[in-house]
Amino acid sequence: MSYLTPKSTEEALALLGQAGADVLAGGTDFFPSRGTRPQTRSILDLGQIDSLRGIEKTARGWRIGAMTTWSQIQRADLPPAFDALKRAAREVGSVQIQNRGTIAGNLCNASPAADGVPPLLALNAEVEIGSPGATRRVALSDFVTGVRRVALSPGELVLAVHVPSLPDDAVSHFLKLGSRRYLVISIAMTAAVLELDGPRIATARVAVGACSPVAQRLPGLEAALVGLTAAEVAALPVVPETHLAPLAPIADVRGSAAYRMRAVADLCRRTVIAAMTGGTTDE
Amino acid sequence: MPDTLAHPVRFGSNAGQPVTRRDGIAKVTGTATFTADNSPENLLHAVYVPATIARGRVTHLDVAAAEAHPGVTMVMTPGNRPALQGDPSAKPTMFSFRIEVLQDDSVRYAGQPIALVLGETLEAATEGARLLNPRYAAEPARTRIDDDEAAPVEPGGFGRPAGVEHGDVAAGHAAATKAIDVTYETSAQYHNAMETHAVVAQWEGDKLSLDVPSQALLMSCAGYAYFFGIPAENVTIRAPYLGGGFGSKAIPTGPQVLAILAAKETGRPVKLMLTRQQMFGPVGHRGATRQRLRLGIDDGAALTVIDHEGLAATSSFDDFVEPAANASQGLYAAGALRSAHRAVRLDVGTPGPMRAPGEASGSAALECAMDEMAEAAGIDPLEFRLRNYAETEPGTGKPYSSKALRECYMQGAERFGWSGRPLLPRQMKDENGLLTGWGMGTALFPCPMFAADARATLRSDGSALVETSAIDMGQGAWTALAQIAADSLGLPLDMVEFRAGHSSLPDGGVAGGSGHTATAGGALHAAGGDVIRQLGEIAAADPESPLHGAGNAAFSARDGRLYVDGDDSRSDSFADILARAGSAELVGNGSASRAPEDAEKFSMHSHGAVFAEVKVDPDLCQVRVTRMVGAFAAGRIINPKLAESQLLGGMIWGISFALHEEAKHDPRTGRIVNADFAGYHVPVNADVTGLEVLTVHEDDPYVNALGIKGVGEIGIVGSVGAIANAIWHATGHRIRRFPIRIEDLLTA
Repeated sequence: MSYLTPKSTEEALALLGQAGADVLAGGTDFFPSRGTRPQTRSILDLGQIDSLRGIEKTARGWRIGAMTTWSQIQRADLPPAFDALKRAAREVGSVQIQNRGTIAGNLCNASPAADGVPPLLALNAEVEIGSPGATRRVALSDFVTGVRRVALSPGELVLAVHVPSLPDDAVSHFLKLGSRRYLVISIAMTAAVLELDGPRIATARVAVGACSPVAQRLPGLEAALVGLTAAEVAALPVVPETHLAPLAPIADVRGSAAYRMRAVADLCRRTVIAAMTGGTTDE
Repeated sequence: MPDTLAHPVRFGSNAGQPVTRRDGIAKVTGTATFTADNSPENLLHAVYVPATIARGRVTHLDVAAAEAHPGVTMVMTPGNRPALQGDPSAKPTMFSFRIEVLQDDSVRYAGQPIALVLGETLEAATEGARLLNPRYAAEPARTRIDDDEAAPVEPGGFGRPAGVEHGDVAAGHAAATKAIDVTYETSAQYHNAMETHAVVAQWEGDKLSLDVPSQALLMSCAGYAYFFGIPAENVTIRAPYLGGGFGSKAIPTGPQVLAILAAKETGRPVKLMLTRQQMFGPVGHRGATRQRLRLGIDDGAALTVIDHEGLAATSSFDDFVEPAANASQGLYAAGALRSAHRAVRLDVGTPGPMRAPGEASGSAALECAMDEMAEAAGIDPLEFRLRNYAETEPGTGKPYSSKALRECYMQGAERFGWSGRPLLPRQMKDENGLLTGWGMGTALFPCPMFAADARATLRSDGSALVETSAIDMGQGAWTALAQIAADSLGLPLDMVEFRAGHSSLPDGGVAGGSGHTATAGGALHAAGGDVIRQLGEIAAADPESPLHGAGNAAFSARDGRLYVDGDDSRSDSFADILARAGSAELVGNGSASRAPEDAEKFSMHSHGAVFAEVKVDPDLCQVRVTRMVGAFAAGRIINPKLAESQLLGGMIWGISFALHEEAKHDPRTGRIVNADFAGYHVPVNADVTGLEVLTVHEDDPYVNALGIKGVGEIGIVGSVGAIANAIWHATGHRIRRFPIRIEDLLTA
């Protein structure tokens, strides 16, 4: 094996084509996931490619470089629609992990409990994928295809995450439920991005993580929310089961399936209300 | 925690002062060396293979593949393991377990060592261990407590607790006008000190030198010596710092013995350090329990009976039965009292003593049962406990050596603001709509003493060296013990050099049972006293000393000078006394243990009262402990800062026990599925807010010469019940299984 440290995207793609290496981003999951197994394939470390880091405003929205860390996202100057993503960034492991872990690493790792996925789904994010001489874009909802599975062909690299333009006054929120206050794998998490028409919801995008193999948007709930005020959302009875149909939570050491379903219904409502009222519910 | 509590300081005394731990700088700057930091020349690294099934046999190991890996120097399996001189199933010392050292191909729990690989590098040994790729003939794993398989415990020393029966238990049940019959379950918990178990072993002929973290240096020497057929004095142990022990590091373990054996076989130093995952198996744990409590009261809410039956999990091959029911023996006045123990054998590693063994699990159940009884009686839980306050030890009628529990209740309740607590549950909400509840629990812990020796050497410059093999597990023993030693010598702390953590020093005993400061401190106190006594004799006989002729008067030592008691005009400095006598130094010896007549006459316990506030999300059922006040009476407090830290640590463990800690077994393989810190939860800093400790003044003339009762473990006792009771008070739900899961509250 060899340890490859390309300085540019082109070089990285070329090396990837030749060597069939394992791609290393922040490394926070890469090494632990190997356990005691030896690394036999080459490692392609993207850490020295400066062009993969940072967030920039584009004509159609924002481009977040693949190697942008969660700490960088927290500190970035972004409109309120990104508050959900920033809140999620604060919940990815510990501060040390946030300093190393990257947005593309989180997506490619494809954990059902990846903190970054629900807010990015709610932002309608797209994934920019590069291969030698070409790039393509895939909606995030099509990119993550299963537990630890993504729509990436051999020789391809994620180069960036794109978030399409949103009205300046769009709001968002993210909530994560864990058995302790911090450093915890989610039992469930919810993200909401809302466009408002005065006090009423004009469009809603709500996504739920850790309750299905891949985080899911809840289109039924999103449609039902349109036209409601925060007070009306608060007064809603329990979120109907049909709105939660895309979810298929499992029972594991962190929580039972029934608990997850019930908790998610409440979390969704709280997330939407917090987004509308600027709530600071941190639980 | 804020360092703002007023610490009563006695003028001129080191003891009683909140001295900052002396090893703190070394630890935070990384210069403190832990045992596995030693890497002698020519070192070999040992890595063992943990069984991945819980019951069955190993049918194949790919030894050839492992041996072929570059850097692997030896693969030890049951097929080629060199002989041990001692029987792995024997128990050579007071604290011993049967150990697994590749004596056969059987697997008795997941995580058991089934092979050991030695390598020139840690990486080579790790890869060699992986390449062994074991195959098994597995049998179904038994990892759940099952009543049908339970058997009574034959009492007999360590790990086999005796029950008690006082009064007429049947009559107590019959006399009750109100009664409860409740069953509580506690989960298996694994001690996970920051420093995992380790050993660096080096042989020189039949002399063995070990760097091994140990809570009992001399006893461990004897324990290791036994397996190799050498006298205990041939074993030297260095353990200057321990990164925590919690009861798991007093006892030699199989992996450590294997590494020592490997060093003997290869003639090279061998290092072994357990991974975090390996901590869940061969080095002890707090066994799971199921406890049935039947309590009855009469019309005046006086307990007619406490009937506490504990069922505890132990391993299939050894006995450590969590003495949970014993928690009911010494606390409340009841007309009749019974505690009994049964055990069930599971395919798990042998449990062992884990911080507050017996009391932590037993108190969790007892304090909840007391709360349920108070609820049935319709009276405040604190009032209920006061009505059943034991003025003498229940059953035996022995007086307490001291007992300031009533003061703990009062001061704790006052500080917490207990008065005005609604009697009924689900009455309080905070400004965010969170259900709020208050609960309490009583804490009790015995005050054992072991035996210890110490030596004090006064030097010609007036400074002193004090020595004992005492153990600093991180609790601050080196600081508190040095304070005691300095006081005994009448010297300021910085004039006393303190040497400990080495088995060649006088036996400092065991750092366990909350008795280390009392025991090792007692020995140091006696050693310093011996020096002062000799110094007085020399001075009184010296015509040139201002103390000449004062032989019949008592002397006291202060600030490096000897004074005639009651006459400060007559004094002489230590250095001058020694100089005129032409002595380079003066050596005193001391030892400490409990006087048997005192042990017979008195019931000796630390006491405390813990009050907790929890907030529960009414929809998500998330529980947060928002406030805790613990008031503890533990005799004389040598170092308030360190004692408070110990007590806080215990209370935090109470949060952990009540809400987080649990080893979960895969029912198919018997493996622990959450054997790491991602899955095995303990509270994080953000979970710990608003904790406060009060130490309640207590003079105890009987417990030992220094009046020390110990603070190492009592903080957890009472805290678990207080939290569970607060959850009931917030929600109206009694969850009778620890840890309390949020989903239990949702479905309650």
